[in-house]
Amino acid sequence: MDQLDSKILNALQNDFPIQQKPYETIAKRLQISTDQLFDRVQKLVDNGTIRRIGASINSHKFDFKSTLATISVTPDKLQKAARTVEKFHEVTHSYQRNDKFNIWFTIIAPTEERIEQILKQISSELSLNQNQVLNLPMKRLFKLNAKFKVS
Amino acid sequence: MVMSDKISDIERKVLAVIQGGMPVSMTPYKDMAESAGLDTAELIEVLRGWQENGKIRRIGAIVNHFKVGLGAGAMVVWIVGEDKIEEVGQLLAGFDEVTHAYERPTSDEWPYSLYTMVHGESEEGVGQIVAKMSQACGVSDYRILKTEKELKKVPPTYICEEIEEHE
Repeated sequence: MDQLDSKILNALQNDFPIQQKPYETIAKRLQISTDQLFDRVQKLVDNGTIRRIGASINSHKFDFKSTLATISVTPDKLQKAARTVEKFHEVTHSYQRNDKFNIWFTIIAPTEERIEQILKQISSELSLNQNQVLNLPMKRLFKLNAKFKVS
Repeated sequence: MVMSDKISDIERKVLAVIQGGMPVSMTPYKDMAESAGLDTAELIEVLRGWQENGKIRRIGAIVNHFKVGLGAGAMVVWIVGEDKIEEVGQLLAGFDEVTHAYERPTSDEWPYSLYTMVHGESEEGVGQIVAKMSQACGVSDYRILKTEKELKKVPPTYICEEIEEHE
């Protein structure tokens, strides 16, 4: 990663143009050639620095429901729990964290009933009792800005 | 699958083709339009409309923060009373290192009401930022839940036929 990569990463995270040839516009902004830009972008995608280029959809505006949920499992059950949670395509993110509640995951689904159903199924497959599962839907949003300033 | 009837057939097609990410191509919109059976202009119009009305938050690169020197992340949860939460939430959201800040429901076994995602270069760095945040908002009841492992991270699926086709 050099300075140009950093510049490209910062530029690509903001206002990716919705037009026929978006890279031409970005290249002009960065004052480099379109070929040089696109070559760098491909490398950054290939080496995993860019996970993807895409649209962050506001799921609520498409009538989808979402939540953050967590379960508390014993260390010997962690792997099985991770697999059980992961297998639902409605689970979009899942992380292991160092606390009593140790697996945290987000669910995006068409209805709240479906979210409940997924949580029930996870509980029953892992034989969890009620106080080992928390469903924590958002009450208020203060900030959502998953852009990272690269230096 | 039942996706709400409120969206048009064209919008459905656009959502289906973009939900997993855009092609890495010099002409991503043209490529998506072709695979969705739409005109490029049509697809571009839908996307611009969605950007205007907030259905799309942003279009751009999703960067893997582990790869750009921000490998240490933590979810930090705070006990904040209802009367203070707006003020504290706004204050903590103002930190550059905080990417997400939400209020969530509390319970007897988990009394934390404010959730912040904090990113830094190292665990110590994150600890220092959190200490600063705590000092700034005057809340000392918090917990740092370090990210030990990323188990899954995929874009949401809105249109399910896509999955079936790809399986």
